[in-house]
Amino acid sequence: MGNWERLVWNQRGVLLQGLMVTVEVCLIAFVLAVLGGLALCLVRMYMRPLKPLAVLLTEFFRATPIFVQLMWVTYVWPEIFGWPNSFFTAGWVALGLQSSGYLAETFRAGIEAVPRGHREAGYSVGMSPVLVFGRIVLPQSLLTVAPSIVNQFTVIVKSSTLVSVITVQDLMFQALKLVNVWYEPIEILTATAGIYIGFIFLVSTAGKMLADMLRQRYGLAAA
Amino acid sequence: MFWEYRLVLLRGLAFNAYVFLAAAAVALSVGLIAALLRINRAWPFRWIGTLHVEVFRNAPDYIMVVWVHFVLPLLLGAAIGRRIEFHPFVSAVIALGFVYSGYFAETFRAGIQSIPLGHIEAGRSCGMSEFLILRRVVLPQVVRRMLPEAINQFVSLFKATTIVSLIAVPDLMYQVSMVIQQEMKPLPLYTSAALTYFAVIYVVAGLVRLLSERWRNRIYA
Amino acid sequence: MDAIPAIRVVDIRKSFGTLEVLRGVSFDVHRGNVVSMIGASGSGKSTLLRCINRLETPSAGEVYIDGEPMGAVEGRDRPLSEINRMRRDLGMVFQQFNLWPHMTVLGNVIEAPIRVLGMSRKAAAALGEECLARVYLSEKAREYPARLSGGQQQRVAIARALAMRPKAMLFDEPTSSLDPELTDEVLTVMRELAKAGTTMIVVTHEMGFARDVSHRVLFLHNGQIEEEGSPAQVFGNPKSDRCRQFLSKHLQ
Repeated sequence: MGNWERLVWNQRGVLLQGLMVTVEVCLIAFVLAVLGGLALCLVRMYMRPLKPLAVLLTEFFRATPIFVQLMWVTYVWPEIFGWPNSFFTAGWVALGLQSSGYLAETFRAGIEAVPRGHREAGYSVGMSPVLVFGRIVLPQSLLTVAPSIVNQFTVIVKSSTLVSVITVQDLMFQALKLVNVWYEPIEILTATAGIYIGFIFLVSTAGKMLADMLRQRYGLAAA
Repeated sequence: MFWEYRLVLLRGLAFNAYVFLAAAAVALSVGLIAALLRINRAWPFRWIGTLHVEVFRNAPDYIMVVWVHFVLPLLLGAAIGRRIEFHPFVSAVIALGFVYSGYFAETFRAGIQSIPLGHIEAGRSCGMSEFLILRRVVLPQVVRRMLPEAINQFVSLFKATTIVSLIAVPDLMYQVSMVIQQEMKPLPLYTSAALTYFAVIYVVAGLVRLLSERWRNRIYA
Repeated sequence: MDAIPAIRVVDIRKSFGTLEVLRGVSFDVHRGNVVSMIGASGSGKSTLLRCINRLETPSAGEVYIDGEPMGAVEGRDRPLSEINRMRRDLGMVFQQFNLWPHMTVLGNVIEAPIRVLGMSRKAAAALGEECLARVYLSEKAREYPARLSGGQQQRVAIARALAMRPKAMLFDEPTSSLDPELTDEVLTVMRELAKAGTTMIVVTHEMGFARDVSHRVLFLHNGQIEEEGSPAQVFGNPKSDRCRQFLSKHLQ
């Protein structure tokens, strides 16, 4: 147990600092993913002329490995757009883009799951299309897809381990750095894996509970 | 630029395929065992199966690859009293195989539990043994039912193979970063790598989905 | 009449937890006879049938097939492998057909003859064609079950059971999940089996079939045989009030 104390407990400050960076990157990426996913989905469904572009972007984000996207955003975007200007930014941009592709499809499934009759009921009491979308379609579909959105957050956390490769000082980065200092990987890496698994388990359990609650309260099945 | 190095890069892509195939074999077989444990009547088996699924489904690929490559050989070495090291390819296959076995276990379980009990009873009343029923009645149906979800997981697994470059398996991403170190031109190389992966995944997955739907439609008309 | 009945049921009892579904049922089925079991839902007739081929394990009692005990022999419970062997002698037809959707019609019929009886594929196919001809579905041999109507699926299920050349056939409400216009094709096949001398136990709500085809009728109530006798007796002059009530509800 001496090793655990020396290598893990005594380094808890560094590891915690790393965990905070992980959470930070993931939260920013998550916001980008939700907004980006919603935008891609709405463009695809309601803006005919731009639909091919939205489809192409969605499919590209979904079908390209996150590690490749991360490298691409980090090293190619600055050459083309002059941005992102820091590794941290590149990290959350790449994570966010990948998940926005997945969430766009999730939102689309949620919106398509709203029965036509609900929309027609709105029109028949004189609501405008914008009002019907904002008051009837969107709230319902957000409820049905909420568990999937939580689930997507766990995907972001898993992928976020890769930002350590571009020297963002997240939990993975700090763990690997400690390994390089001490040359004793067993305790550090096992503890780090445990922290990640525990953290992601908590988030996905929360997602499951949310799904159960929604099913009980509104009788909705998750999309 | 990308064209110039096409042979090296193609060899790298082949490595992605090797890792993918080997890890998929591990994931499927371990996943099936875990699923059978999870639906077992005896609680210790069920418990082990559940633990397996919860650990691997919630584990990031990268930390597992690193853990298997750097920690597992030390632990095994201590157990048998001899220094051992894993070839990066072996580590990659074990780590990715086990991570994805967690996902496949859930897919298998859902598939197995969706088979009506009557199909199994029909087998019993023909005098078929439980093993024969599993092999001839249950699993063939499970495979067809889980195929759409399994294809998505195969896609995720293939995408995950790109991170094996980080423990020096010479896959496409590894070759690309080697060339970039020589040429210092990330733009064409990373862009082409991204497009290559996109094309391979998009085309192959699309094709497989199409074929599997045709096959399934014959049965679930 | 033979000395040894094809199926002898002795004091079968079955409980699910505290719920007693069968409270001691005994009867014999002689070779070539058709026994129909009628009764309200929940009377235990399906459970009784499932106890006979041991899809449910009875809490007490024994079933003898040609004099051979199904559950225990010489005081020890039979292992599953022996029960599997005994089950071959009893063909079962389910309410829900339970065809295997990933095999063709012929594949469903020849699966057990090949894998359980060890027949060659060729011999099994010939047998399968013969069984399908008996249910008038030869031309559907290469279709998948999903393409067949409910009545056709149930006839395939009958052919599948026949292919094991069972000593007796058990029918668990074979027409209950069929649309009314599809029941006749199944009942016709069953009448022909009966005429050919097949030993059959039929759980059914088709009173016409029970009256015309069976040698004996059992009326089950609350896990016991409330009334039994020839069809003429049970349908013409039932002794028990419950049976009379049941029949008046089910015979227009």
